[in-house]
Amino acid sequence: MTSLVYASGGVIVGIILAIAYYLTHESTYAFDRKFDFGYRFALQPIKGEFEDLDIDPNATLLTANREGMDELDEKEEGVPFPTIESLAGVAKFGTGSPQASTLSNAIPEETFKDHWKGMKRADRSTKFLLFGFATPEYKDPKMALAWSPDAAFDPNLTPFDLKLKLVQSPAGVKTDPIEIDLRKQKTGRIELPTFVARTDEDRQKGYVFELVATPTMSHNVAVLAGTMRSEWDGTLAYPRFGIVPLIVGTLILTIIAVLIATPFSIGAAVYLSEIAPNRVREWLKPLVELLASVPTVVLGYFGLMLLAPFLGNTLAAAVGLESGRALLTAAIMMAVLLFPTITSFAEDALQAVPQSMRDGGEALGLTAREKLKKIILPAAKGGIISAVILGIARAIGETMIVWILSGGTPFLPSFASPKDAVANLMKPMKGVPDAIAIEMGNVDFEGVHYGHLFLLGLVLFIITLAINTIGQRMAKKVAWRS
Amino acid sequence: MIHTNGSPTATETPVVIDVNGLSVYYSEKQALKGISAKIHDNKVTTLIGPSGCGKSTFLRTLNRMNDRIPGFRIEGDIKISGKNPYGKGTDLLALRRNVGMVFQKPNPFPMTIYENIALGPKMHYGIKGKQLDDAVEQALREAALWEEVKDDYKKKNGLNLSGGQQQRLCIARMLAVRPEIILMDEPCSALDPISTAKVEELIKQLAGDHTLLVVTHNLQQAERISDYTAFFMFGELVEHGHSATIFGEPSHQSTQDYVSGRFG
Ligand SMILES: Nc1ncnc2c1ncn2[C@@H]1O[C@H](COP(=O)(O)OP(=O)(O)OP(=O)(O)O)[C@@H](O)[C@H]1O
Ligand SMILES: [Mg+2]
Repeated sequence: MTSLVYASGGVIVGIILAIAYYLTHESTYAFDRKFDFGYRFALQPIKGEFEDLDIDPNATLLTANREGMDELDEKEEGVPFPTIESLAGVAKFGTGSPQASTLSNAIPEETFKDHWKGMKRADRSTKFLLFGFATPEYKDPKMALAWSPDAAFDPNLTPFDLKLKLVQSPAGVKTDPIEIDLRKQKTGRIELPTFVARTDEDRQKGYVFELVATPTMSHNVAVLAGTMRSEWDGTLAYPRFGIVPLIVGTLILTIIAVLIATPFSIGAAVYLSEIAPNRVREWLKPLVELLASVPTVVLGYFGLMLLAPFLGNTLAAAVGLESGRALLTAAIMMAVLLFPTITSFAEDALQAVPQSMRDGGEALGLTAREKLKKIILPAAKGGIISAVILGIARAIGETMIVWILSGGTPFLPSFASPKDAVANLMKPMKGVPDAIAIEMGNVDFEGVHYGHLFLLGLVLFIITLAINTIGQRMAKKVAWRS
Repeated sequence: MIHTNGSPTATETPVVIDVNGLSVYYSEKQALKGISAKIHDNKVTTLIGPSGCGKSTFLRTLNRMNDRIPGFRIEGDIKISGKNPYGKGTDLLALRRNVGMVFQKPNPFPMTIYENIALGPKMHYGIKGKQLDDAVEQALREAALWEEVKDDYKKKNGLNLSGGQQQRLCIARMLAVRPEIILMDEPCSALDPISTAKVEELIKQLAGDHTLLVVTHNLQQAERISDYTAFFMFGELVEHGHSATIFGEPSHQSTQDYVSGRFG
């Protein structure tokens, strides 16, 4: 018998350790995080076309980390350095980037390509060369080099310094040295004397620029800084895994839900325990407990069908937003979920206040209200706090309701104006558990996105653990001994 | 059948509680059967009798502690200080001010010792500040608890006292409301002998200017502390009279059996 107890204890401890190990281990994938930078460069006529370089067909992209592209076959990746002939009648300029990062190693026939590189660790620097020339069709004595970040790439978020330097000018052309800090000048255009390549050999004799990416921090610092950011979007070409908005979302949602549910729950618990006649109580309490077992997906569905349209047409419309799937909607349905849980436990706590204490109040002449306020509620305080904390723990881990009702966009509150502060309530949000549930299905199981999802799980676990521990302490501190 | 042989006569101290033909029912169950008794001012009356005979019911009926029990109903007549506590327009607050109660299990409230005691006077007399502090201190002194708690009674939770101290706290809390009549339902049964002695001492002191009704299963205690004793059995008041008579020469065989330990 005792050995059975030890065995099951051992199994439980083992499982906990395994989970802890698994969580920490898998979340190390988050620390494999590779960073990306992507810039587009294009030579353009002096009267600019294609302000948006993302749609300029002749722009060259110099980038590290296009996730998923690094495994392409070498040949497929290769983008040949355009020949004068191939450009004739199609484009007035040509640019190209040799795979080699030194001028002397750049062989035009073999190694030119767009840089679809694998991801870079944040502590490795990289250098790209960029050749550029005009074809004989271009007559203007001046041309322009334009640059801009690739779509969705934000230079502010990269742990690299990005510098563009002129390393070679065409023979006979005098230019001032050019060195541009791309983090300070994210987009720009500089004018240059036109260099026309008349033969294929000429292509390399014109302007050559160098893009240098120098790390600004250690890899782990960069990962942590990235993790603490305010953006979460794993679907971007340059994905962002800032977990803050998800955690903030979950916490705010939980706080609102608990704030809504607690007064009702305590009220209901007091009614059930102290006011309701026995017969009513016998019916009502099981009913409340039954409510607690309604599947959350059903609550989510009700919220979607009834509450979301209602809030969408009223409150959301009032603050200039469209959708009813938002923080408040999820919080209200979450409160519906919490209500029976908190009520039931709080009622138990009230019931546990001994009759002798109530008798004492009665004998002293306290009215029912005073008895409740001065004796019963204080005596049940520990239990009621535990009930609320159980509710908090439940709300933090709840997935389905948030998934269905929250709108699924990571959320950071804004308090710029009173209207903004109210509008926060009707903004869509995304929480930790639902993010894990939704995104876990389509990630690479040894990838960075997966690692971050696990990191989120770990954070969730720690938060719940902390809240439970604090709750237990508080409950103990105010508990009365019988 | 009502037996009141040896019942005190009117030549003694005035009657404060006058019960006439009191029957108490819990739904169908009759817990008290036509009790009649006169309780005298500034005396200690102990209620004795086997378990379930209705002692607590009698006590709790006097200050209407049973009102909330479903199915509770009384017949007959009670007069406390001349007033019927069950009469129309009874001021329950005044009744509780007049009749204090101490229970078997110490039941301090989950608050400081000071607050425990201050609750009653604040509510009944609306006093505050220095006056309230004095009332609390006086109650603690009267309950012989002052010396033990004077250092931290404003901070210490009443629940953190020992059982005996808790019971004296409950007595202090009751005394702070200045009742004339004090009901005690087995006040010592949860206490150790030393605490019991302290409470007994207290009961004797209080008898000077209070009317006390004390339920006890401890016959020696009943003999020690009381002027009068009432013996209950099966919901009936079998015998009520001077303690000396009840414990010496009771007029009923069942009383004789009970006090000599042959019953119970
Ligand atoms: N709340 C109640 N509901 C129903 N019946 C009750 C209730 N309280 C007491 N009774 C019954 O009334 C009778 C008298 O009970 P009471 O508690 O007055 O006895 P007692 O003399 O105080 O006994 P003890 O010495 O064990 O405390 C008992 O038969 C008991 O079962
Ligand atoms: Mg009793």
